[in-house]
Amino acid sequence: MRLFKPSLLLLIILMPLTTPAQNKIFPFKYFTDDLPNGLRVITIPTDYPNIVALYLAVNTGSRNEIEPGKSGFAHLFEHLMFRGTEKFSAEAYNEALKNAGADSNAYTSDDRTVYHTVFSKEDLDQIMMLEADRFQNLKVPVDLFKTETRAVLGEYNKNASSPVRKIYEALRETAFKSHTYQHTAMGFLRDIENMPNLYDYSLEFFNRYYRPEYTTIIVAGDVKHENVMQLVNKYWAGWKRGSYVPQIPKEPDQTKSLSTEVAWPTPTLPWVAVSFKGPAYSDEQKDKPALDLISSLGFSQTSDLYQKLVIKEQKVDTLFADFEDHSDPYLLTVVARVKDPKDVDYTKAEIIKAFESYRTTPVPAQKLTAVKSNLKYAFALSLDNSEAIAANLAPYISLKRTPETLNKLYDLYASITPEDIQQMAKKYFVESKRTTVVLAHKEKQNAVK
Amino acid sequence: MQLSNRLALMSAVLIIAVAAPGAGIARAGKASISMTSVLLPNTSPLVSFRFLFNVGSASDPKGKEGIAALTASMISDGGSRSMSYDQIVQAMYPMATGFASQVDKEMTVFAGTTHRDNLQKYYEIASGMLLDPGFRADDFNRLRTDAITFLKESLRGNNDEELGKEAMYISIYDGHPYGHQNVGTVESLEKLTIEDVKRFYRDNYTQTNLVLGLAGGFPKNFEEKIEADVSSKLPAGTASKLTLPQPQKISGLEMQVIEKDTPGTAISFGFPIAVTRSDPDWPALLLVQSYFGQHRSSNSYLYQRLRQIRGLNYGDYAYIEYFPRGMFLLAPDSNLGRRQQIFQVWIRPVEPKNGLFTLRAGLYELNKLVKNGMSQEDFDTTRRFLTKNVNALTKTQDSQLGYALDSKYYGITTFTDYVRDRLGKLTLDDVNRAIKKHLQAENVKIAVVTKDAAAFKQAAVEGKPSPISYTSMPPKEILDEDKIIEAYKLNFNTKNVEVIPVAQVFQK
Repeated sequence: MRLFKPSLLLLIILMPLTTPAQNKIFPFKYFTDDLPNGLRVITIPTDYPNIVALYLAVNTGSRNEIEPGKSGFAHLFEHLMFRGTEKFSAEAYNEALKNAGADSNAYTSDDRTVYHTVFSKEDLDQIMMLEADRFQNLKVPVDLFKTETRAVLGEYNKNASSPVRKIYEALRETAFKSHTYQHTAMGFLRDIENMPNLYDYSLEFFNRYYRPEYTTIIVAGDVKHENVMQLVNKYWAGWKRGSYVPQIPKEPDQTKSLSTEVAWPTPTLPWVAVSFKGPAYSDEQKDKPALDLISSLGFSQTSDLYQKLVIKEQKVDTLFADFEDHSDPYLLTVVARVKDPKDVDYTKAEIIKAFESYRTTPVPAQKLTAVKSNLKYAFALSLDNSEAIAANLAPYISLKRTPETLNKLYDLYASITPEDIQQMAKKYFVESKRTTVVLAHKEKQNAVK
Repeated sequence: MQLSNRLALMSAVLIIAVAAPGAGIARAGKASISMTSVLLPNTSPLVSFRFLFNVGSASDPKGKEGIAALTASMISDGGSRSMSYDQIVQAMYPMATGFASQVDKEMTVFAGTTHRDNLQKYYEIASGMLLDPGFRADDFNRLRTDAITFLKESLRGNNDEELGKEAMYISIYDGHPYGHQNVGTVESLEKLTIEDVKRFYRDNYTQTNLVLGLAGGFPKNFEEKIEADVSSKLPAGTASKLTLPQPQKISGLEMQVIEKDTPGTAISFGFPIAVTRSDPDWPALLLVQSYFGQHRSSNSYLYQRLRQIRGLNYGDYAYIEYFPRGMFLLAPDSNLGRRQQIFQVWIRPVEPKNGLFTLRAGLYELNKLVKNGMSQEDFDTTRRFLTKNVNALTKTQDSQLGYALDSKYYGITTFTDYVRDRLGKLTLDDVNRAIKKHLQAENVKIAVVTKDAAAFKQAAVEGKPSPISYTSMPPKEILDEDKIIEAYKLNFNTKNVEVIPVAQVFQK
């Protein structure tokens, strides 16, 4: 990283830090540039011809929605950002994207909102200009704002037929008492329904978070670093730094195991979720990487539990673990779909037993080697085009603002021993950190108990 | 793992899958061997396989619906003769790869990508699965149950949009070899036996039906090795014979309203078109599809009218080829080649109170497109978009391979070159002539998934105006247009309008 203090009016060609990449899990050379306003730019020239992937990661997600009744606003902005500025109406913006043959979309998670556009290299100037314009000059009139809130409700409704979505809603609402991870990125339904009445708050939200110090630009593809930075300086240097820092509520320690049941209105096989409070993302502490390894060792297709419940006994047809990296401590969750309602308690007990086994029994070294190899090759296989490189990088950039965190993380994975695994299991897989959810068709639910 | 199930699961986990396997810059290669193959050698460290058989669920014998899909899953999700499924999973795990299958009406494909470091080991396992399957009873029981669960849970239970789309396809192809869900029906699956699987494999997994696709940094003479293995294990066979009648004629608007207790109302409609990728009119219809309803794009006409201006839902798209799992994908999967296709509009769930208005709006807009055609400006913009955007469809080595196999099936040149070349020669007149020739809004099959299905049916058939309900009033010209749409005449063929409980869909 290289900080500099040039005049905002100058076009600046930087002498950035170029990171060589021998024997690193992130194998590409990249450039890191910081503008005085706090904006960071990561440029990754690749050998894949013609295509450029531009990813803009804004460090605001549902985690930042700290006021009661205001959940879902980070995600709403993901929509509003396509609604135009004074200079370019939504129609003009769309027209320009269409002329560039661009694929453009966005997503919101707990910790970030990511805008991504993939296009031909000759359109880099045009796309960079359009992105800078909407990030700095978004202007959505109240009527369009209200219309867009209904599209968000439509999105909630299209998701609503999935029991897994409901499980996650229930899980978070049960497991978190103070922290904003209590709600999903969509937000609470009651808040979504009230969104049309909160136009003024939306202006405030934009004013807080759509700021250079919250934003990192990733450019991967058929580009030259100098050209990218010329355009960045031309279009983004005038963006004003903000001052808002959210006070994210700290989650108190969970002191007893929690559980809830969800009644599902239409026929479904029952679902079971077992969750433990885990650590936040770190590229320095072993906690999160060790638990990542356990989630694969313990609950992937190769795990003893999967082999038992899905392949041999055939009592469960879906089993997976989910432990997404988060800025703050989050949940390591295992979800199973059970073929017969009478096996719900058994499945839950088996999952808990599998977690507990890591406390008592060291992992065989051979298994640990296999999971490390799996992680390495899975990552290598995923970096096969410019868009994939930028897309894979975006979550890490949002957490630590540098690709280097990936190299540190994989070095940590390599260093984990069976003793580390056991130690972390003892630390995190305790009853008082556990939350369970059972979702079942409402008539069947009585039978489950 | 089956590709479709993997996608359903991915959506369930709420993970955004980022990359398809593959890399590098490919060049078309010619096989020096007798077996039909598509080779795209390059210098990438990755090697991608696609074993494509020209047989699929349209070849399921009557009463054995689902056998093609179950046979494929017995190979991709079951053991080989020398390894149990458990052992295969354990062996694939350190390589972080797998060998997946996808079955459509006329194609079955097995696909996987490995790092060159692991090529020999990977090929040994995958070829064992494909050429020397284990067909064990415990795998069969598990996978047959999975297939039934897929129909009952993943489609009926958890995905109203795919449910509606698949129900519409079945209805359009009633009495036709395409007329059942690829996975089968609940009743047929319950009766299938492992002997049925063995028979289907023996009769259809033949050298004649196979096209080998290979891309990436594979060693010299690798394809010869594969050819030798294939010819020592699979019978030469004859090409699968499949006679496809024309789908039944649709008279007026025909509708299935699927009754389900669900918060939104999901709508799909469509009709057969006599155009596939082989047809000279296909590039013109591709352009129309992109203009009217480019998949998952905020730039298309329908999306603008229904979502952007009226806030009715999350998105609205149009298709000229089968595109399953669209809610999980930003670009279509390859190897879904068919000799018969439909034109389809997918309207994502709306609030039930706006259901009938939205159906009317979709048909009204289609009718307008047919009557007025496209403007020169829209033609120019859409052509510019597609000419560049087509590159994005084949950005990975694996997708290049998939598209190359499809181009061979349809008898066209390299997909991206073909599309760019034909788009360059297209005129507005060509496109508007193709619209008039192939599209219409009168004889259409509709599938609706909603609560209060009987009330929906009654309101639709009665034909009274169905005004839209707004949270925020749009401009006057939209309100004026709403007046036309809310009373847009729906000429239902009432004997072909039915309410179906969700539990009956895919049942038999």
